[in-house]
Parts: sequence; structure tokens; C-alpha cells
Amino acid sequence: MNRSELFIQIIALATLIIACVFVWVVTTEVFDVDSEILSAPMDMDSESDLIGRLYRMIPFLCVALLLSIAFAFYIEEWLSDTTWYYRVINQQISILANIPSVIYAILVVLIFLFQVKLFADFTFVLGIVFLVVPVTIQTTQNAIQGVELSVREAAYALGADRLQVIADHVFPRAFSKIIGGIFTALSRVLAIAALLVIVCEIRTSIIQNVSSFEISSNVFVLISLALLSCILSSILQKNSNS
Amino acid sequence: METNNHSIETKNLSLWYGDFQALMDVSVNIPEGKITALIGPSGCGKTTLLRCFNRVNERYGNVTTEGEIKILGKNIYDPDVSLLELRKSVGMVFQRPNPLPISVYENILFGLRIHSPFGRLTRSQSDEIVEEALTSVFLWEDLKDKLKTRATSLQLEQQQKLCIARLLPLKPQIILMDEPCSALDAKGTLAVEELMGILAGKYTFLIVTHNMAQARRVSTECIYMFLGELIEHRETQALFETPEHPKTADYVQMRYG
Repeated sequence: MNRSELFIQIIALATLIIACVFVWVVTTEVFDVDSEILSAPMDMDSESDLIGRLYRMIPFLCVALLLSIAFAFYIEEWLSDTTWYYRVINQQISILANIPSVIYAILVVLIFLFQVKLFADFTFVLGIVFLVVPVTIQTTQNAIQGVELSVREAAYALGADRLQVIADHVFPRAFSKIIGGIFTALSRVLAIAALLVIVCEIRTSIIQNVSSFEISSNVFVLISLALLSCILSSILQKNSNS
Repeated sequence: METNNHSIETKNLSLWYGDFQALMDVSVNIPEGKITALIGPSGCGKTTLLRCFNRVNERYGNVTTEGEIKILGKNIYDPDVSLLELRKSVGMVFQRPNPLPISVYENILFGLRIHSPFGRLTRSQSDEIVEEALTSVFLWEDLKDKLKTRATSLQLEQQQKLCIARLLPLKPQIILMDEPCSALDAKGTLAVEELMGILAGKYTFLIVTHNMAQARRVSTECIYMFLGELIEHRETQALFETPEHPKTADYVQMRYG
């Protein structure tokens, strides 16, 4: 990779972060979430506060998933794979998708523990974006690439245009793999959410100086949901060819 | 020969994939209603030339084309040419049978559905179209009870015939075939060749083949290409028996390579 391409990579990363801010603002507006609550300092001792904040991320999560699927279709179907920006985008996505989710978790927990209160929710938003978007884009890309060339050629040669080929053939053929990718991303998010809840509980028990420490049912629910989505994702990605 | 007897005319057609020139100054006239075979060693640009004629080449980025291709008297690189209409009149059959992974019935109607998107076909009309298309490729007897099965589960020979059949409802004038028999066994090859012979009067066939016996059996005219250049274009029998160009002679008498 030459220097100018590295520069472009850095700019791309910066743009991604700005895009996160934008999407966050838009989603909070659209779903009419009180933005004052969102940016309000967090009550660090309260687990219910944390859970509430996590719930409020759900609409954001859905939008992030839809946008990443749309983006994956855009790069696979509209960008030519010989261009430099295709390479840059792909490189960025695979870097981000291959970072173990625990690293994002540590970052989120650190900000959470250091009580950067003002941006508590924004931390979650960034966490979701980095946990969900690259993985979803990558799995969707793989799903699209998995659609046989012969199917596309046949449809194009019969005169179908790009949208018809995508809607009639690529999307239905890739559908179960795309859903599988969504579940992969969900399991990452749920596991990290469970971790956050545990950290919150440990913190509370330290502050209150309780000698016995009990893990709440929330954690178990989150972990079992994470496992469930893992299983679903592998089933869906395996079964896609039948 | 008069010009209006040519389905396809190219003039000084050159094509590059990036820096690599795949076609050099190809000028050729393909006669209407006959079978023309394209022969030549691998990588000589046969398939590239074939793919130019319905512009499927353009889907791979980095392709530059120069020169003129006239199909049925119209330059296909004119800005007002719609790819949809072009691909309707120029059908293509691929090397490996590639029926769409949907039912036999839907495969045949797929082309029509694209070209008339608002579902103006009634049930009886579409039944009729399917029967007609399958009958003309002699598949109706075999498949009339299997119209709902997935096309990809048929035998290869039936799949390839189906690929031809699904072009027919669009009423193409030209059918391009890229080694249509290379994935088939001897029986399948024979069946597809017979089919081409029967359909030849109605449609113009352009077939790429590595099998010289096949070129000799099915085609009326034959084109020999070598490294992106058109070396010789004559009637098949003449080309095989008295080749004018030494390179053609080497190839058709199997001295090539």
C-alpha cells in the first residue's frame, strides 16, 4: 500500500466516525427519543439505567443493520472491483471486521468506567457501529459473492437490468446468508452487552461493599440470546445452498 | 451478397481488457438464418467477439471497444440503443447450462416477465408460451409433467435445451452459443446439434466451438481466429478442405501447437 492510499484509508476511517454521529443524530430524531436523556450523564451505580440505555439502542441497531446491508449491495453490485476505492473500502471493512469484539468491549468499558459521562450513549453508538456494521457488510458481501456467476450471466443475457437481477436472483439466493450475518453481528452485540452489565454489577457491589456478589438474570438472558443467535447464524449460513 | 442478408456486421472492431488487446481490427459479416462457427485456439478472442454482440462484455470493468458493430443494420453502440432490446433480439447460450434456479416453467417465462414487467400475461397465455417453447426444443414430452421442478435438477442435456428454449419466447433473431456442448456427453451433443439444424432457418446462429468435427457438422460458414485476429472466413467445407491461409491449414489439420 502506498502513502496516498494510506492517507485515503485514514480519511475513510474518519468519515466512518462522522457518519456514525450523523446516523445517531438522525435516528434519535426519527424515533423521537429524547435527546436530552441520551446525552445526559449516566447514573453509574444503577443497573436499570444501563439496561434502559441498551434498550434505547435497538432502533439504532436496526438502522445500522439495514444500512450496512444496503452498503454491501452497493459496493458489490455498483462499484467495479478494479478501482482503488473498492480496494480501500474492502480493506477498511476487513480490518474492522477482524478486530476481536473484546477489544471494542474494552474500549466501551474503559470510557464507561472513566465516567466520560457526557458521551455515555455515544460510546454505545460507536460500539454498535464498530461491532455490527463491518461484520454485517462482510457477511453480506460474501453472501452476494456466493451467488453463482452463471445465474447472473443468464439473467443479464436475457436482458434483465441490474435492479432486476438483484431483486429477482441475487437477493433471494443470498437472503439466508444475509440473515445469518445479521445474527452473527447480533451475537457480538449481545455478548458485549452482557459483559457491560456484569461490569456494572461488580462496580455496584464494590461501591456498596457487599461481600456476596450475585449475577443478575439479565446477564443470563443476554448470554443465552447471544448463544442462540450464534447457533441461528451458523444454521442459516450452512443451509443457504439447499 | 447484399448487405441486408447479414445479421451481424462488424467493421474494424478492436477490444482491450485494460492494456491487453483481445480483438484486433475484426471485420466480419455473419449471414442471416445460417449457422456460423467460430473456431480457433484458446484465448484467441472467439468468446470475446461473441460476447461483444450482446454487450455482456461491458459488465466486466476496464473494457474498451473501438470500431463498429451493426446488428440487423443498427449500430449497437449508438447511444439510443437499449440494452434490453438488444439482448431481447440477441440471445445467448453459455458453456455450462445455466438455467436459473427456479422452476422450469418460470425459467421460460423469465425473459418475458422482464420485458413486460406489469404482468400482462394470463395463465392460459403463459401455459401456451411454455408449451410452444418446450415443443420447439423437443422437451415438451419429457418435461410436461415436471414443469414445477427446479430447472437445475434436470439432466445437463435437458438444461442446455431449456436454456435455448427460454430464449425463444422473446423471439430473438440471433442466438449466440458459447461452446454449448462442451459440458454434454455425445448423446446430448448430438441432440443439441440436431436442434440447431432444425432451428437454423428461423434464427441466425453463431457458435463458438473447440470441436472441429462439430464445426464441420453443423455450420454453413466458418471463421478461424488466431490471437485476436480474424484469419479466415469462408464456407465451412472450403475452409476445412482447402484452407487459404497457412495458419488455418495448420489448425484445421491439427498441426497447431
